[in-house]
Amino acid sequence: MLRLMKYELRKTLNVKLVLAAVTLIAEAAFLIGYFTRNETLYSLTALLLFMIASTGISVIGLWSLIVLHRDMNTRQGYMLFMTPNSCYRILGAKILECGLSILLAGAFFFLLGFLDVTLVMRLYNENIWQFLAEMLQTLNERLTITPANVLAVLFWLLSSWLCSVITAFLADILATSLLYGKKWNWLVAFALFILLNIGINWVILRVPATMSVVAQFAIQGVIGLAFSALMGYISATVMEKYLSV
Amino acid sequence: MEYDPMSPIWLQVVQQIKGKIVTGEMPPGSKMPGGRDLAMQYEINPNTAARVYQYLELEELCETRRGLGTFVTENTGRIAELRNQMAEDALRRFLASLEGLGMTREDAVRMLTKEENNDA
Amino acid sequence: MLESRELTKKFGAKTAVDQVTMKLEAGHIYAMLGPNGSGKTTWMKMAAGLIIPTSGEVLFEDKPVSLESRAHVAYMSTEPYFYAWMTIRDAGKYYADFFEDFSMEKYSEMLKSMELEEELKIRTLSSGMVAKMKIALTLSRDAKVYMLDEPFNGIDLLARDEIRKAILTAAVPEKLLLLSSHLVEEMEAIADRAVFIRNGRLVEVRDLEEMRETDGVSMADRYREIFGHAEVNG
Repeated sequence: MLRLMKYELRKTLNVKLVLAAVTLIAEAAFLIGYFTRNETLYSLTALLLFMIASTGISVIGLWSLIVLHRDMNTRQGYMLFMTPNSCYRILGAKILECGLSILLAGAFFFLLGFLDVTLVMRLYNENIWQFLAEMLQTLNERLTITPANVLAVLFWLLSSWLCSVITAFLADILATSLLYGKKWNWLVAFALFILLNIGINWVILRVPATMSVVAQFAIQGVIGLAFSALMGYISATVMEKYLSV
Repeated sequence: MEYDPMSPIWLQVVQQIKGKIVTGEMPPGSKMPGGRDLAMQYEINPNTAARVYQYLELEELCETRRGLGTFVTENTGRIAELRNQMAEDALRRFLASLEGLGMTREDAVRMLTKEENNDA
Repeated sequence: MLESRELTKKFGAKTAVDQVTMKLEAGHIYAMLGPNGSGKTTWMKMAAGLIIPTSGEVLFEDKPVSLESRAHVAYMSTEPYFYAWMTIRDAGKYYADFFEDFSMEKYSEMLKSMELEEELKIRTLSSGMVAKMKIALTLSRDAKVYMLDEPFNGIDLLARDEIRKAILTAAVPEKLLLLSSHLVEEMEAIADRAVFIRNGRLVEVRDLEEMRETDGVSMADRYREIFGHAEVNG
């Protein structure tokens, strides 16, 4: 499994390196702006960094999907499916690698953002915690920063990311396995992805909003994880039974 | 090596080896390549190579000594016999091809004598 | 050792392999023959577990092909299938990571005799070099079954000798080799049995020496008889 993950990382490494390089350049520009007190530069780069962080996570997920699609639709798939590894292991390695990458990238961007915001706050002699609390309150008055709330929200975020990635995997696997060799199978996959998402959201939104923040996010997160596990299992089973490369 | 793919390849390899035994390229009692080496050397299927040795052993042109390998027979009488056999085969082929050209045996003898004089 | 029972694969309306039942035994080199599109590749891919049959089954040592069988069946596809970033050595490391029967020493040795540099990126190689490297990679496994799809494709006349020698070295009594090629003449002397496939259907499996003895025909002659003169090349 670790070996499979090693090669999944290698296959997605380029895009991650590009992402890291772009982030580094933006951060360097931000720091230059910060230390030269160039407000235009550091506020623009801060905005840029925020955009990189929010799209970066999607790009990682999307790239894993592209690699999966190539593995199923081009000859490079022989490399995987010729080896004595079950589809459960192959897909498991892909999901784990992608999940861990998202987790690590998320943690990295979170820390970087925290650091940068702290720096800016110091310019204005303000406390970052206070600032964040005020900002959140203007967004949603129910949200207050307590460790439990933060954990619940992070858990929910993670679970929904994982769930999105696996939904996309399942959609692509269904389309590829059942429509062997058709060039337009990704269109079907896309349609399936949207349908699956509508279904999953319908279930997740059944969780009543009247609960406490912790309970609401935790339950939604658990539902997301349950869906992820179920869809992962279905995906691998479909691959094992129907996928021809 | 080039083979005539229309006739059995094992037989063609047997002919080659017989030739080497008769000419002394493979002297009596000398060690022959193992079955797999023979296959590599002649670029033939290992089963074909095995068949070559089976036949040569049956013809008493070689013998397998347990654990030592296969050797060309030391029976020089048998080798002389093989030489005669092969010479007779060659002669028959020679006569057959002349007959094919409409020549008689007498013509053949005359031509052979003339060729001999030319050589001398 | 390798057997297919009423094996069928349909791609939409097209039937690539049609009710093929045959038994291939260890200790033989089989030449799998038929014009392009006759189903050779599809049959091999089903035996390798890459393509799921529409119906029927492939058995390896009397059990349906599975993960277990992939560890003992070495398949070489015609097309290159390596990741874009791989060097010749990376491909070896990959095989070493996933196939317990792969020997990196044997691979290096074969590469050396083929005069291939391990540091070269696979995608920069000529088609002949890739063909040789694929052979080295596949035959460096100590598998029970080797299926080589078009091993002589893209290989010049001189290198074909090397490939033939490499194939013969791998052919030991307990192993089965299956080679497909449209270069029929290349396989006359190294194969001892031929599988003829036409339009996805099995025509016959013949012992070549027996055929030469009883019918006085070569494998290429039989090929022409079955498939018609126009389709022979090489």
